[in-house]
Amino acid sequence: MIRFDSVSKRYPGGREALSNLSFRVETGEMAFVTGHSGAGKTTLLKLIALIERPTGGAIEVGGQNLARVKRGGVARLRRGIGMVFQDHRLLMDRSVADNVALPLVIAGMPREERARRVRAALDKVGLGGRGGDAPAALSAGEQQRVGIARAIAGRPALIIADEPTGNLDPQLAEEIMRLFVGLREAGTTILIASHDLPLLKRMKQRAIVLDHGRLIDDVPASEVA
Amino acid sequence: MNARAATTAPRGRPRLAAWRRQHAWCLRDSLHQLARRPFGTALTIVVMGLALSLPLAFYLLLANVQHLSGALGESQSVSVFLKPSITMDTAESLAQDLRARADVAEVTIRTPRQGLAELAAVQGFGEALHALPANPLPYVLLVQPRKGLDRAQAGAMVQALRALPQVDLVQDDGQWRARLDALIALGRRATLLLAVLLGAAAVLVIGNTVRLDIRTRADEIAVQQLVGASASFVRRPYLYEGVWYGLAAGIVAVLLVLLLEAVLAAPVRELVASYAGRLQFGGLPSTALLLTPLCAAALGWLGAWLASTRHLLRPSP
Repeated sequence: MIRFDSVSKRYPGGREALSNLSFRVETGEMAFVTGHSGAGKTTLLKLIALIERPTGGAIEVGGQNLARVKRGGVARLRRGIGMVFQDHRLLMDRSVADNVALPLVIAGMPREERARRVRAALDKVGLGGRGGDAPAALSAGEQQRVGIARAIAGRPALIIADEPTGNLDPQLAEEIMRLFVGLREAGTTILIASHDLPLLKRMKQRAIVLDHGRLIDDVPASEVA
Repeated sequence: MNARAATTAPRGRPRLAAWRRQHAWCLRDSLHQLARRPFGTALTIVVMGLALSLPLAFYLLLANVQHLSGALGESQSVSVFLKPSITMDTAESLAQDLRARADVAEVTIRTPRQGLAELAAVQGFGEALHALPANPLPYVLLVQPRKGLDRAQAGAMVQALRALPQVDLVQDDGQWRARLDALIALGRRATLLLAVLLGAAAVLVIGNTVRLDIRTRADEIAVQQLVGASASFVRRPYLYEGVWYGLAAGIVAVLLVLLLEAVLAAPVRELVASYAGRLQFGGLPSTALLLTPLCAAALGWLGAWLASTRHLLRPSP
């Protein structure tokens, strides 16, 4: 599903965010990308979503070499990825349902199907019946769940999440992680950037550990203690 | 990845249906955005409507002056006042001679009696004419020059008429008519120039409004791009917004000119009556009523296209 082959990323200022990074994430697998702040977790996710381009190496997502994706193909690629952001990135002047429906609108889905999928996604994140609310009326945890509902509404094959539990209390963070585990069990490939080591240990999933842009460890799920 | 990706683009007929649904959503979204700031939207529309109404009002004025010029078409003829001693037979003989000239299209005789009747029809003259012991008016020949005469040829014809021994006075109405035609041509060009300038201003006003809107909604655009919106999808609501601005401004411009017409209708009617019904005041033709909002909508689209293209040329997040 995801293949990084000697990938490097150097920003224009000269800072090297990723260096010679190689790993694979198989279809239906769930993995955490972890490391201290500045380790390169967010850059890694940005490369997968083509928010950034690598300065070296090759990346494949779903069998597609991202170097061959031109500007016009970026939108098509992103439509196949569900993205969850630490700061939720919700449209505050739209309802919760409108936020969740956005990727479906972009895909040109019929209205009835859209409404059905929005309801299903909100039910899945425990926000059934809150579709008409404004995001501002929700707590931070609920807003994060709206972001997750938006990411899963289009039933993407791959979900990437950048610090999805960064601002949440431990109980809520675990709740959201359980949600991701449920999605993985349904066959979705999931890659989550997180620096919350205790949470990672509790979730018992594969951990790709970065330090200053280098892969220092790749711990299989069975070995996470 | 695409095998399970339910939000990837469909193909063929479903793709067309998806495209229609996207348009419908963008159309509703653009109206929703305009309705969210009613004061700002109304202000932009009224400013543009006023700007567009100016060339339209000039067009109306010009059309009526042209109409007036057409109604006074016979004034292009040269009035030849014969000496008071000239009789009907002599006048007819002279008219016959003039009809034979190559530069004359037609000659009409107006008798003293006809002249007196015309004068009597003009308000205030009736009483005074009754006081006259006899009809003092001479025979008048209305000489219509042949079409296509240039100014020099028409001048030569007038000179020839003045030289005739039976003629007392030659009144060349064609001269002021030529001046009026020149003024109308100038007005037409000025109106066209004004329309182009104000049309460009409308494009810039809408472009700037849409640009500001794009800046205000930069976060929303970024989110749309992150969840897979294409550049054309992101741009569409702004293009619709430009069309709505233009269309509404065009309708406002038409309404303003119709209001102008209504306000001027009464004094113009009086003016027309004083010309014994020879003149008519014309309003905006139905084609102008229809075309103005459509052209304004096209200008709005252009302004929005320029603004959104400039924004979307920047790389997406």
